[in-house]
Amino acid sequence: MSQQNRSTTNLLRGTLAIGAVGVVAAFLKAGPERFWANWLLWFVLLFTVGVGSLFIVALEHLVNAKWSVPIRRIPERIATLLIPVVPIGLLAIGALPVLFPGTRPEALHNKILAGKAFWLSLPFVSVRTVIVLALLILGLVVLVGGSLKQDQTRDPAFNIRARKFAPAFMAIFALAITLVAFDWISGLTPEWYSDIFGVYLFAGAFLGGLAATSLAVLHLKDQDRLEGVRKDHLYNLGGFLFAFTVFWSYIGFAQYMLMWYANLPDEVIYFQTRLTGGWHVVTVMLAFLHFVMPFFALVTRDAKGDGSRLRRVAYLMLAAHILDIYWLIFPILPGGPHFSWPEASFALLFLSGAILWVRGALQKGEDMPVGDPFLKEGLEFRL
Amino acid sequence: MSSGKSFAVLGLFDTPDALMGAIPQVGAKKLGALEAYTPYPLHGIDDALERRRSPLGGMVLVMGILGAITAFGFEYWISAIDYPIVTGGKAPSSWEAFVPIMFEVTVLFATFTAGLGMLLLLNKLPFFGHPVLSSDAIKAITRDRFALAIESEGEGFDAEAAKAALLAAGATQIEVLPEPDRGPFLTSDYILRVAGGIFAACVVAGLAMYGAVKLFPVLPPMSHMEDQPRLNAQKADPFFKDGFGMRMPVAGTVARGYLPLGVASQDEAASLVNPLPSSPQVLAAGKKIFHNRCELCHGALGNGVPTLTAAYGAKPANLQAQQFRDYPDGKIFWAITMGKNAMPSHAADLTETQRWEVVHYVRALQRAQNATDEDVKEAGTR
Repeated sequence: MSQQNRSTTNLLRGTLAIGAVGVVAAFLKAGPERFWANWLLWFVLLFTVGVGSLFIVALEHLVNAKWSVPIRRIPERIATLLIPVVPIGLLAIGALPVLFPGTRPEALHNKILAGKAFWLSLPFVSVRTVIVLALLILGLVVLVGGSLKQDQTRDPAFNIRARKFAPAFMAIFALAITLVAFDWISGLTPEWYSDIFGVYLFAGAFLGGLAATSLAVLHLKDQDRLEGVRKDHLYNLGGFLFAFTVFWSYIGFAQYMLMWYANLPDEVIYFQTRLTGGWHVVTVMLAFLHFVMPFFALVTRDAKGDGSRLRRVAYLMLAAHILDIYWLIFPILPGGPHFSWPEASFALLFLSGAILWVRGALQKGEDMPVGDPFLKEGLEFRL
Repeated sequence: MSSGKSFAVLGLFDTPDALMGAIPQVGAKKLGALEAYTPYPLHGIDDALERRRSPLGGMVLVMGILGAITAFGFEYWISAIDYPIVTGGKAPSSWEAFVPIMFEVTVLFATFTAGLGMLLLLNKLPFFGHPVLSSDAIKAITRDRFALAIESEGEGFDAEAAKAALLAAGATQIEVLPEPDRGPFLTSDYILRVAGGIFAACVVAGLAMYGAVKLFPVLPPMSHMEDQPRLNAQKADPFFKDGFGMRMPVAGTVARGYLPLGVASQDEAASLVNPLPSSPQVLAAGKKIFHNRCELCHGALGNGVPTLTAAYGAKPANLQAQQFRDYPDGKIFWAITMGKNAMPSHAADLTETQRWEVVHYVRALQRAQNATDEDVKEAGTR
C-alpha cells in the first residue's frame, strides 16, 4: 500500500470517528424520528448500492456477457457491502415502532390500515427483512464467493453453476428490492401505494451500483491495476448509466403523471408533500441531477467512453442517488427538508465506512477474475 | 454506359492484416479517395481510412430536440391557446399531460432522421449500379477477400499510378472499375416495375384475405361492427327474464329535480306557496311561457277569448273570472301540473320553477285587468 493510500485511509478513519460521535449525539439529542429516518436512509442506500452491484454480476452470468468479465471483480467487491447491510438492516427494525404507522396499535382503528394490519405488523416486517437479507447473502456466497474461489481452482464449472443460478437470483433480486421498497419506504406512508414503486427503487439501485462500479473501475485503472480494460469497456458502463438514467426518469415520471392525472386524494398526497414548500426545490433538483445533467453529459458517443467525464457523471449519479433516497424518506418528517448536523454525521459515518469497506475489499486478492475462462475474450472486447 | 474514364482501381488482399497494412502505404501517395470493401466489419478501419465522424448523431439529436419542441408547441397551442378546456380539474396549460406526446414525437423525428438521413442524405441512395457491385471482384469481396479502392476525385486521376501503388502494397489482384451510371433512377421502366409490384402484392394479399375468410370462417378478420354484445334500448332481448332490453327504474325512483308535490288533490294544493319572488325577471319568464303555451286557449289577457275559441269545441276557462281570482296560487299550480277538464298536464313540458313563473304572470294579468285606484296610485309613485 502506498503512502498516499495510507493517508487516505487514515483520513477516512478520522471522518468515520467524527461521524460516529455525531450519530451517537443524534441518537441522544435529535429525537427518535430524525435519528431513525437517517438510519433508514443509509440502510436503503447501502442496500441499493450493494444489491445493484450484485445485480450487475448476476446479469453478466444470466446473459453470458463477455465484455464485463475483466471488470467483474469490482461489482463483486462492492456487492460485499451487503454484509455490513445485514446488521444495519436488523438495527433498522428499531425504526419500525417510531416511523411506521402500520406497526402502531392505533393502526387497527384506521379502516385502510386494519385490513393490512398483519402485513404491516412489526413481527412480519422483521421476518420479511430477515428473509430478504438471508436470500441476498445466499446470492452473494454463490456468485461472489464462487468467483473468488475460482481464482485458485481455475475450475470452469463455476461459470456453468453461476449461469444456472443467475435466473433464480433474478427472482430473489426482484423479491428483495420490491419488499425493501414496499416495507421500508412505502411502509412509511402505508395508506399510499404505487404498484411501480419496486421498479422505481430498482432503477435507482442499478444506477447506484453502476456508478459505484464505474468509479472503482476508473480508480483501479488510475493505479494501473486493470491492465487491458479499455475505452470499449468504459463505453459500455457509460452506455448503461445513460440508458438507466432515462429508465429511472421514465418510471418516476410515469408514476407521477398517472397519480397527477387521476388526482385521487390518497395517491396524490405523496406528490402534494413533495411539490409544496421546501420539498419542491428538492424535487426539481432531483430531476436535474438524476436525469437532465447525466443525460446530456452522456448523450454523445465520445462522452460514454471518456474516463474523466464518466468519473464526473458517476460522482453526480451517486450524489443524485443519495438525494433520491433522501427525497423518498425524509418528507415524513414535518417542517420541510432537514439538513443539519445529524444528517452530516450520518453521511460521514456511513460514507466513510462504505468507502473503507470497499477499499479494503479491493486490496485483497486478484483485481480480475483470473480463473474465468472467458477473461481473455472479455479483454479482447471491441465495440 | 461507360464513358471510358475509370472510376476507381480496386486491389484485392487476402487477409484483413494485409489490407490494414496497405491503407497507410497507399494513402501516403495521395492518388485519390480511399475506400475499403470487406466481407465483415474490421475494427479500427474507420480510423485507418481517416473517415470523418458521421454527422448522423448530431442530426438525430437536433431533430429529436426539435421534435420535442414541436410536440410541446402543438400541444400547448391546442390545449392552452386555441381551445382551452379544463379537463379533470387540470389547467389547460398543464405540461405533464404533454410529456407522452413530446416523447413520441421526439422518437418519431429522431428515428426518421436516423433512417432517412442515413439512407438518402449520407449514403445517397437510391444509387443503382455502383461499380463495385458489377465488378468481377464482388464475389470474392462478399466471401473472403478484402478490397481497397482508390477512387477518382476529379480529372487528374492516374489509374496506372493507382494500380502500381496497390500492387506495391501487396494486392493480389487488380481491377479497374468504369465510371458508374448516374442516370436518373426514376425511369418509366422503374416506375412500372414498382407500381406492378405493389399491385401484385395487393392482389396476393386480397386473395389471401378472401381465402382466409372463406376457408377458415372461425376467425372472421372483420365483423363490420355488426356483432355487438350489448342491450339495445327499446328492443326485446332474451338476456333478462322479462324479455326487455331496458330495465325498469326501481320502485319509488324519483327523477332529479322532479320531487313529488306531496298533495293529492287540487283542494289540498291550496296549501302550496309560490317559492319565487314576484320580480321583473320572473314575470318576464312567466310572460314568455304564457305566450307560448297558455295564450292560444286562454287568450292574451287570460280572459278566455282567444282566436281558437270558435274552431275549438271546449270553452277555455276565463282566468279573469272571480272564481279564479280567488284561487290560491297552489290551485293554479295544480291545474297547470295535472291539467283540468280538457286542458292537458304541462308537467312534462315545464319544470316546477317555470310553472310557478306562469302562476306569477297569471296573478299579474288578473291584477292588471282589475286594477283599483290604489294600484294606480302605487304605480304613479314608482
